[in-house]
Amino acid sequence: MLLLQLLINGLQLGAIYALTAVGFSLIFGATKIFHVAHGAAFTIAAYLFWWTTAVKGWPWPLAAGLAVLAAVVFGLAMERFIYRPIQRHEGAFFTVFIAAFGVQIIVQNLIGTVFGRGFVSVTTPLSRSVEVLPGLFVAPVAALAIVLAVVGFTGLTIYLARTHWGMAMRALSENPDLIRVFGLDPGRVAQYAFAIGSAIVVPGAIFTAMTAGLNPAVGAHVMLISLAATIVGGIGSLRGAAYGGLLLGLAENLALWRLDPQWSEAVTFVVLFLFIIFRPAGFFGRPHAAK
Amino acid sequence: MRLVRLLALLAAFQLGAAAARAQDSIKIGADLPMSGPNAEYGELFGAAANLAVEHANADKMLSKKLSIQFEDSQATPQQGVVAMNKLVNVEKVPFVLSAFTGVSKAIAPVGDRAKVVSVNGGGIGPDLAELGEYFWNVIPLVNLEIRVMAPYLVQERGFKKIALVYVDDPAGEAIQKELKDNVPKAGGQMVAELQVPRNAQQFTSIAAKVREAGPDLVFIASFGAQQAQIVKQLRDNGVSQQLASYSAFSSPTVTQLPEAKGALFPTQSVDWAAPGMSARVAKDWKAKTGKEPNAYVANYYNAVMVFVHLAQALEKKGQPITGENLLQQRKANGSFELVGGKMDFLPNGSVSMPIQINEIDGGAGKLVKGGTLAK
Repeated sequence: MLLLQLLINGLQLGAIYALTAVGFSLIFGATKIFHVAHGAAFTIAAYLFWWTTAVKGWPWPLAAGLAVLAAVVFGLAMERFIYRPIQRHEGAFFTVFIAAFGVQIIVQNLIGTVFGRGFVSVTTPLSRSVEVLPGLFVAPVAALAIVLAVVGFTGLTIYLARTHWGMAMRALSENPDLIRVFGLDPGRVAQYAFAIGSAIVVPGAIFTAMTAGLNPAVGAHVMLISLAATIVGGIGSLRGAAYGGLLLGLAENLALWRLDPQWSEAVTFVVLFLFIIFRPAGFFGRPHAAK
Repeated sequence: MRLVRLLALLAAFQLGAAAARAQDSIKIGADLPMSGPNAEYGELFGAAANLAVEHANADKMLSKKLSIQFEDSQATPQQGVVAMNKLVNVEKVPFVLSAFTGVSKAIAPVGDRAKVVSVNGGGIGPDLAELGEYFWNVIPLVNLEIRVMAPYLVQERGFKKIALVYVDDPAGEAIQKELKDNVPKAGGQMVAELQVPRNAQQFTSIAAKVREAGPDLVFIASFGAQQAQIVKQLRDNGVSQQLASYSAFSSPTVTQLPEAKGALFPTQSVDWAAPGMSARVAKDWKAKTGKEPNAYVANYYNAVMVFVHLAQALEKKGQPITGENLLQQRKANGSFELVGGKMDFLPNGSVSMPIQINEIDGGAGKLVKGGTLAK
């Protein structure tokens, strides 16, 4: 029964990781911008959801809508006011990374100043597990997270494959000049990628506020997991990021079946190292020959 | 040339102003977490220390104004040492407030070498009593807490089977060792000991392991946001047994967490209604924060007041306020009237105080067993 319990816990956590990692992967895949501040979008959305529901008593659909809006505005502002000016002047990868990292720290401190530095969480019956079989506890939020991850990922895949803007985003990662040939503005396409990538982080942020709770530094952990999932799944592959997130969530929980709990997070990075060594392109990434 | 002269003048002015500022005040240091997941502790400890400074200055207890230079330890040993080096070598403070077992153990050698006193009011590892004569504690260490808590839980409350969830950190390991020694002595049994990484945030599967062990009580030995996360996730995932912890549960984050209601935790005995210093601190703290004070407020207020009393004595004797002189003065007179009553330093620089047991009731905690001295 313990193994089944760990499997269900792993699926729930993996779904949350997948939702977060897919957003990062979409942005990185389309724009090649290493958006470390993705964790800040997560933190902003999660705190706004907590503040509006737990403190102000707003109905949750309204709170979730505001969280989506805030995450999208943050993502667009990062693209417009941070990344685009840097790329216009020199475009060095490391400069972009440091700028994004700086924003992540600023957001962390602002959140701490505005909402306090302690632990907060949304108390809801959705996170309360019920005993479905003797010794097997499942929370409604687990089913919600898994369903939403599947729906979100399927919807995003269809959007990228079938719509005009979706195809433009895929093309942007391949050849920005080609986008211009077709009369599209690469900057506008990049903004779409940031908006969608930031919006898709919100369900994971809300589920985290309900299940694990929040502190201002939560974004750093989220970013680490997103990055690991993106590498495991294959850089630039949405499907890979989703599977990568799921695999890491499962590995973190299933490790407890045989190992002591202090190894659970280390297992995540063992998986990452194994991929880096034996399959550097990840699940679905395309291998690049050394030049 | 004119620009160079202007810059030189400005530099001289700045130096003069800095020197004047230094002479106008007496400065102590604080090496506390101001950012990261444990920043709420730094905020709490710093506010209590600032209240003591406010009182000392209002009462003109020293010849000059007292101030605190805060540096951010992030509750990590590495950052703690960086901050301590700055306080000792740049700010040249004689006295530093410290917190967290890991940070305190890391900064103690720096203070010892520079003959600067470090005072801990938050870390609880028993080996903090052995860090040299320049490292003092104004908090009863966890060995004393557990020696009172274990017999209470096992013998008085009948929780025979105890599961422990503890953080992979010197504080967590110290608590594990103390429980392993004291629970069997009291007639109980440790049925699970689950160590979790310091940065872990997911405990649903830990809850499954706890349920599998079938304890009467779950003892949580972590701190900061993590201890609240453990409580919430245990409760959300089918762990309905009694919860207990050490003094870290007096943090407002935990005491106000709905899932933590009913949890038991020890602190040193403080009667906030006692007339004099205790009542004054309680009144001013409530006025400033709107909250009831807890044991940490007493500790950091007391830590600053220990400095004030020692510095006052040195000023009377006409001696400079240095770490060395503060230590000699404490050795000559190590007894202080502070918040919670009389505090006596033991020769190793730590304190022994009566320990009380509290229950989380949504406020600052309900007293369930009065002060007992650890055997």
